[in-house]
Amino acid sequence: MDEQFKFTNQYRNVLAIAAIGGLLVFLASVFIFKPDASRVWANVLLNNQYFLGISLGAAFFLAVHRIAWSGWHTALQRIPESLTAFLPVAFILMLLLFFGMHDIYHWSHYEGYDPILEGKEAWLNVPFFFIRMVAYFAGWIALTRGMRKNTDMLQDSEDLKFHNRRKVFAGIFLVFFGVTVSASAWDWLMSIDGHWYSTIYGWYVFIGMFVTSLAFMILLIWFLKRAGYLEFIRVDHIHDLGKLLFAFSVFWTYLWFSQYLLIWYGHIPEETSYFIQRREDFEMLFWLNICLNFIIPFFGLMRLDAKRQLNWLAGIAGVVMIGHWIDYFQMIMPGAAGEHAGIGIPEISLTVAYMGLFLFIVLKALASRSLIVKHDPLLEESLHYES
Amino acid sequence: MENAKTITIVFDDEQPLLQAVKKIRESGANIIDVFTPFPVHGLDPALSMKRSRIPLVGFIGGAIGGLLGFGFQTWVFTVDYPLVFGGKPLLSVPSFIPVTFECTILFAALSMAGAFFIKSRLKPDKKFEPVDPDITDDKFLILVDGETSAEKIKTVLSGINTIEIK
Repeated sequence: MDEQFKFTNQYRNVLAIAAIGGLLVFLASVFIFKPDASRVWANVLLNNQYFLGISLGAAFFLAVHRIAWSGWHTALQRIPESLTAFLPVAFILMLLLFFGMHDIYHWSHYEGYDPILEGKEAWLNVPFFFIRMVAYFAGWIALTRGMRKNTDMLQDSEDLKFHNRRKVFAGIFLVFFGVTVSASAWDWLMSIDGHWYSTIYGWYVFIGMFVTSLAFMILLIWFLKRAGYLEFIRVDHIHDLGKLLFAFSVFWTYLWFSQYLLIWYGHIPEETSYFIQRREDFEMLFWLNICLNFIIPFFGLMRLDAKRQLNWLAGIAGVVMIGHWIDYFQMIMPGAAGEHAGIGIPEISLTVAYMGLFLFIVLKALASRSLIVKHDPLLEESLHYES
Repeated sequence: MENAKTITIVFDDEQPLLQAVKKIRESGANIIDVFTPFPVHGLDPALSMKRSRIPLVGFIGGAIGGLLGFGFQTWVFTVDYPLVFGGKPLLSVPSFIPVTFECTILFAALSMAGAFFIKSRLKPDKKFEPVDPDITDDKFLILVDGETSAEKIKTVLSGINTIEIK
């Protein structure tokens, strides 16, 4: 019951090499190929958003299960919880955008008369942009820490007050997150195309985050089980994660299509310009996005056996992870980098670097405590869970 | 109700029911059916029931529905009654998707409900013939075929909390 993940030197070295090596290759490629500055900064934003999304999706997963008094997730709660440990680092990385504002966000430096951007100036101006960024992160970090601290207390104490406090934090987090996840999506992603707007965008980004996070959790469980940990996670837990991945992939498609259909149907130039650019200049990625995020998980996870086979499920989760990276690419790159955009060494090396850093922090957080929260009141239910 | 003699065993909780199912099957007697007021976890595996094929029916029904929905719209808007809406081409796939989606769901749901009715021989004038009035209430009930004597069942189930065996 006191099983603890050992973050061995071997793991540390591999991840450190991935992080530092990836960063060096990225910097080298920047100096050698001299890609446009917008492409470099858009890459930073893309990876910030991608890995931040995994953390936030995990925090949402925990909060929503706690507030619903869910028992089944109790055995695996340490995994999403360690994913949220990345948030402070994500904050620092997001602050880097200060240096890239000019290259990514047209609204930060437009000249001449632009009535649309002028109308949005009350919200879209550089000081307020960073004030909001600090506010979002302050709330997210404080509330997820509140949840994590109380879970940690439950490792040693049987006092139910920690469990109840966790629920209070979860409730506040959900309210705060509901507003800020949309607002942060407008700020960091939608404002790239400053003249364009879509009212469903916040939800669309949020579900993308949640799906990525579920896929990442499945991959992490797959990895830990292969390394000989998490014996107590039953096939029924895997099954439920598979169901969530399936359902929210479909929901993501629903939101993607809702946005597309309304813009396509309305046929207003200021709205359609967004999709025209993506469909004409990034045609392959546009269709690959739907294929990886909808068609493959939908048909791949439709059968019951598929969701109970961890190896198969992890394969689909890997596809979905790539798919959502491409989804963010579709959101960010055409607007930010335009004709300079592409997928090459800079993109891949920076993503590898981020992945190394992210996994390093997550696994370190995971190793700091026992893999099971011993005195969680719902643990017994979860250990005998049948889906 | 079947005319052949059967034995019914009544319980008032799920745990004794699960134990009894296991013991009866071990003794070699044949369980015809089990009635419970709510779904009991672990009952299907205890009865070694094969997985239902209803999902397959749902998939086939849904696939047929989706194709029919899409095909019908294509035929209507390009062949039968071509009208231009909002300057869009006659065959505008995005606008067909919502209807295709709804048809998929409708056909999947109806085909599954239909398959269930056919398989369980339910029809409008079907008379309600309960094995025991208690199955409409809060009791758990096992129906064993008459090959085994009630005496034997009683010895098999000694120690398990049954309400009655008849």
